[in-house]
Amino acid sequence: MRTTCPYCGVGCQLEPEVRAGRVVRVLAPDLPPNHGALCVKGRFGLDFPFSGKRLLYPMLRERKGAPLRRVSWEEALDFAAHRLHETLKAHGPEALAVFPSAKTTNEEVYLAQKLARVLLSTHNVDHCSRLCHSSSTAALSRALGGASMTNPLEDIWKTDLFLVVGSNTTETHPVIAAMIKKRVRQGARMIVVDPRYTGMAEAATLWLRVRPGTDLFLLNAMARVVVEEGLWNRAYVEERTEGFQAWAESLAPYTLERAEEVTGVPGERIREAARLYATTERAGAYWAMGVTQHTKGTATAQALVNLALATGKVGREGAGLNPLRGQNNVQGAGDMGALPDVLPGYAKVAEEEARRRFEAFWGVPLSPKPGLRMTEVFEAIPEVKAIYLIGEDPMTSEPFQDHTKAQLEALPFLIVQDILENETTPFADVVFPAASFLEKEGTFTNTDRRVQRVRRVLDPPGEARPDWWITRELGRRLAALSGRPWPLHEGPEAIWEEIRRALPGMMGGISYRRLEKEGVRWPCPSEDHPGEAVLFRERFNTPSGRARFFPVDYTPPAETPDEAYPLTLSTGRVLFHWHGGTLSRNSRLEAAYPELKVEVNPRDAARLGIADGERVFVVSRRGRIQARAWVTDRTPEGVVYAPFHFAEAPANRLTQDALDPISRIPEYKVSAVRLEKLD
Amino acid sequence: MRLKVDGKEMEAREGALLLELVQVPTLCHHPHTETRGLCRLCLVEVDGRLSPACATEAREGMEVWSDTPGLRALRKTLLEWLLLTTDLSLAPELQALALALEAEPGRWGEVPGRKGREAIEDNPFFLRDYAKCVNCRRCVDACGDGIMGVYALTLTGRGLLAHPTTPLDRPLPETPCVFCGNCVQVCPTGALRPLTEV
Repeated sequence: MRTTCPYCGVGCQLEPEVRAGRVVRVLAPDLPPNHGALCVKGRFGLDFPFSGKRLLYPMLRERKGAPLRRVSWEEALDFAAHRLHETLKAHGPEALAVFPSAKTTNEEVYLAQKLARVLLSTHNVDHCSRLCHSSSTAALSRALGGASMTNPLEDIWKTDLFLVVGSNTTETHPVIAAMIKKRVRQGARMIVVDPRYTGMAEAATLWLRVRPGTDLFLLNAMARVVVEEGLWNRAYVEERTEGFQAWAESLAPYTLERAEEVTGVPGERIREAARLYATTERAGAYWAMGVTQHTKGTATAQALVNLALATGKVGREGAGLNPLRGQNNVQGAGDMGALPDVLPGYAKVAEEEARRRFEAFWGVPLSPKPGLRMTEVFEAIPEVKAIYLIGEDPMTSEPFQDHTKAQLEALPFLIVQDILENETTPFADVVFPAASFLEKEGTFTNTDRRVQRVRRVLDPPGEARPDWWITRELGRRLAALSGRPWPLHEGPEAIWEEIRRALPGMMGGISYRRLEKEGVRWPCPSEDHPGEAVLFRERFNTPSGRARFFPVDYTPPAETPDEAYPLTLSTGRVLFHWHGGTLSRNSRLEAAYPELKVEVNPRDAARLGIADGERVFVVSRRGRIQARAWVTDRTPEGVVYAPFHFAEAPANRLTQDALDPISRIPEYKVSAVRLEKLD
Repeated sequence: MRLKVDGKEMEAREGALLLELVQVPTLCHHPHTETRGLCRLCLVEVDGRLSPACATEAREGMEVWSDTPGLRALRKTLLEWLLLTTDLSLAPELQALALALEAEPGRWGEVPGRKGREAIEDNPFFLRDYAKCVNCRRCVDACGDGIMGVYALTLTGRGLLAHPTTPLDRPLPETPCVFCGNCVQVCPTGALRPLTEV
């Protein structure tokens, strides 16, 4: 039975072979996007549904401090609905928040955000992409009027130059990395901008080792070279963009000399990169968290957008702007409206026409005021009094863990709906056990907008139920209490049919029947439409149809090294693990990478007298964690790198909650730390 | 372009492999790994000479025979030698083919082979059981140029002693291996297989 991988945004198609209720082998069919290839997580990491940590029964806690006790679905749902309804009556819609998950299906996300908006009257809806690509979304939306990859993954085979910025693609999107590297072996070139010597840097034609948090300066300096040397695309800029002049003038301070001082990259290499990118017609930009997770994440993504627009790379085959989405359904979660400022299909909450359309469609009035973003919701506790959390683990994923813990302790009511026990479960007042991706039907949308099927291969264990069922049943009770409309969908396909009616231009042509064979990319307005591959060929989604330049300025990271904390900590992922580790560490993957290793440059290690494999403390102003030192020149001098998957040594105890002013993403990539020997 | 296959005139597109035009058994050929022309099971007669169908492009006016008594005998012998040297118990397709070609491996007596080799378990994910390896090299190609560009698998030895291994025969975790298992997926004989299956 064919289904879609639950790990990253590539959306690999896979065929798990199940015998006696166990996954014994995973093969991949010869279908897009992965054409038979997989990575270790999809191939060998799908046994988490069999973990002993599965949540099997609904549980609730009558009052804070009491233990969770097993109850019936009936009782748990009634209790949750009453508490939510009471909170709504007593404190208004702003006191509630719903976080659908980018790990659940489109149908489930749609239903959850609908529950928030229709039954709880709140736009306090968000999901984990707040913590990953919200900066890209903000930058792309305001410049192009759309926030997804502009080009399909197949375009990798047509790309002659890859500009990869802040993406450890070989470990975070391994199948895409393999495609890009193969294309490079076929003769394409690749510029990699990254402080670390990643697998991509190893394969690069030109590797620019920037200091952490200085990419924006480098991109602006590249842009300055492009303008100065007349390498920009005059016809494209004149016909398809606006604001070029003001932007070009804003680049004056970004000279190669200054860039070399700030970024640490020799000016001539920056010039070389600029020339290569500008003069290669089919040049595609790819980026990820290295760009976005900064206090200037939006500005950095914007700099990349500006550079692509000036050189005419958007709306062309084999080029474009391609943020690599992290979660399996992060694209879908955004499409379905799990964001505080937009309704499904990115219709703005604040725009009357969009709101009217959904008011008529759902039969309820909607507030014109956008809701709070996830990071803001946690800040707004205890004014926010109740959170319905689906498939998220903020204790591990939010920055400055001690602060998150205090906030969760102060939260009056928390519903945790998940498949596995995690670091946040102990804070729950109600626990809803959910079905894993192997145990339900639905669709995920991958990083290049391809809607793909998820199929039920196994029965859920215990009394676990699919997320859509739980949300539907909770909604049924809330609707009874509030008298608001809540149609009871028979199953995922019925919910998908409502989504098609809600978003005819985007999803109208995508039926389950069509998805039997292979995924279909949106926008797809009719059943005979193949689905759009390259976006913005003719016009952009802005009111004028033109893309907009936004001048952006470099600012240093919120925290810079000093005497007490002389090193820069960068956080991220490793090949064998996934985010908070909830899935991967409850699978066979754990055996391959069982504990936190912190990368330390040999020079720093020598100076501090730290040997490879030695146990050390990593200490920031906010806390300390224990790790094993991995002495390697993958990381540059002065920088240490720690993955954040390990609950017992959480890197996010060290990170700070300094936020990007526009996207409100935390600066996970730069904190000042020191290393201490254990004894 | 036109050519003659098994006595019949045929139309073929430029660059088509003979494999697309004839029905012959294959072993090493795999569309993802780009492995070509190694196992010789797909040999056909092209203008009187033997050529692997998986590695020969159609040409204008070519005359191709895919199923002559000579070719059948050749395929049968190849399979007999595989059966003599290798444990094909997890390769049902090769067994079926051997049956269809009435292979009798016993007629060659004993030959030195890899049947006695012990399986290597050096990682949490999959087993390398080279007693079952037929040297098709799909795994080496999947790991290298074909898909991953990782090059954690390589070939060592020559002739009957040739076999895939890791660079310097190191345990997999000490190589650049990323455990994507693409080598496992393309292995046709179960020489590489997930530990969950063992």
